[in-house]
Amino acid sequence: MTRRVLVLVGLLVAGCASTGQVSLGEVREFANASARLGGYAELSRRYRDTYERESPYLSPQAERMARDTDARRRAVFDDFVAIQKTLVLYMQTLSLLAGDGRYDLSGRIDDLGSGLKAMTDSGLQQRHVAAYTGMSRLLTRVITSRYQNRSVDTMVRDGNADVQTLIDAMIVLTRIYEKANENERKTVLGLFNAEIPMANRNADRMLVTLAKVHLQNKTAEYKLIDRRYKLAQQGLTKVALGHQKMRENMDKLSSEETRHMLAGYVHDLNLIRDALSGE
Amino acid sequence: MATSSHSNPDPAADDADTTPPSTALRQQVGSALPNQPSTPDTIVTSMAPGTPPAAQHAAATGRDANGAARANALSNMEHVVDLADSVVCIADDLHERILQEIASYNGRTMPDAQKALLRALTDDELLLRQYAHALYANATTFVIHDLAQPQHRLMALTAQAAEKIRRIGVIGEVTGLVGGILLLVGSIARGQFSQVGAALEKIQLHNAALKTLKPGSPTKT
Repeated sequence: MTRRVLVLVGLLVAGCASTGQVSLGEVREFANASARLGGYAELSRRYRDTYERESPYLSPQAERMARDTDARRRAVFDDFVAIQKTLVLYMQTLSLLAGDGRYDLSGRIDDLGSGLKAMTDSGLQQRHVAAYTGMSRLLTRVITSRYQNRSVDTMVRDGNADVQTLIDAMIVLTRIYEKANENERKTVLGLFNAEIPMANRNADRMLVTLAKVHLQNKTAEYKLIDRRYKLAQQGLTKVALGHQKMRENMDKLSSEETRHMLAGYVHDLNLIRDALSGE
Repeated sequence: MATSSHSNPDPAADDADTTPPSTALRQQVGSALPNQPSTPDTIVTSMAPGTPPAAQHAAATGRDANGAARANALSNMEHVVDLADSVVCIADDLHERILQEIASYNGRTMPDAQKALLRALTDDELLLRQYAHALYANATTFVIHDLAQPQHRLMALTAQAAEKIRRIGVIGEVTGLVGGILLLVGSIARGQFSQVGAALEKIQLHNAALKTLKPGSPTKT
């Protein structure tokens, strides 16, 4: 008798669990891979430091202009990074909800407290700012509720729209970083391409040689960095797509198909991350 | 005159005797403009690259009523990025043109005056690229209002300018045109929308001047 009751209780528990407690391994893996994806922060810093790299090559006039732009880039840098921090915190929280104990989020809520500093001026469109605010609220709720409502499902549903918007902002910004980098490359290399052939006096030989070596190094440097913009954009796109698919398949997370699909995103994200850290 | 953006010592022109010919040439091209209206001189003064933004702002405030409509020209991030892209394009064409000119000497020694001219143009190219940078920064730093039409006009004009640079036969003629473009782009990059109209006219004038300077050349747009 007791045994039958126990079995019954066991069945009931299993039944309850199977609605929410599906296999979350892939969700966890996806959230982890998304949180660890590199590229954006580094490229944001590179964009911020454009002037530093470029200034030796500029004419006095161009240099003045460049200094002005430099100040503007620096003014918004923190906001650009805040977006990424928020997304990372979201993914880490999601990973915790999905049963991964590796992240300690205590204290991390402070990161969200200040919000975007320069909203009117920060370059982000209104919807980006709204998404940031929405996401901060969601994270605050989830983290401070001590995971009482350990629902991956709710978080993904509530968070998806904002996740998409924030990633969109990051992709747009990365695209602009890439264009600015291209313009910088042409500034730096272009000067040499014009000056080297004009310096054809005997007295110029040593200078020309040094210039050619410098040009070679700089060309290689830009070639390496070029790839990173594409990789970062690819990674962000994968994170957005993966999250979207997860949202769409929330009610069949344990199906073979969904798990396979999520595992595919994890695989791609890891490849991209390796490519980004391998150089 | 708007033709030269070089009011400062040019470190690239290391031969002291080469700077005057460059300036002279550039001014000469500028003075060839037909029907020069009287207003551009004041615009040029207030717009000279390197003038502190505050001073420029003060100069621009008088025209703000007019500027308000045009302020909407750069309607959103995408459009500003497009505009920056086309400025980069003009700089690319200019660069290509400079390299062609250098290559045409084919190892022969280039006269110092010509070197100075090419260096001045290279400086202009650098400045154009800085304007593009400023526009990219704008794209990330402003939430901009909607109004696409003037934006399209700007795009069309910059495309025309790029085409001109590609086709121009004598390198010296590029300078006047580049001066106009620098004015135009500079005003946009600094967010001085009230100046954009004047700069647009300027570019058209330069285009007209170039046509008269090169009769029979394939410069029609």
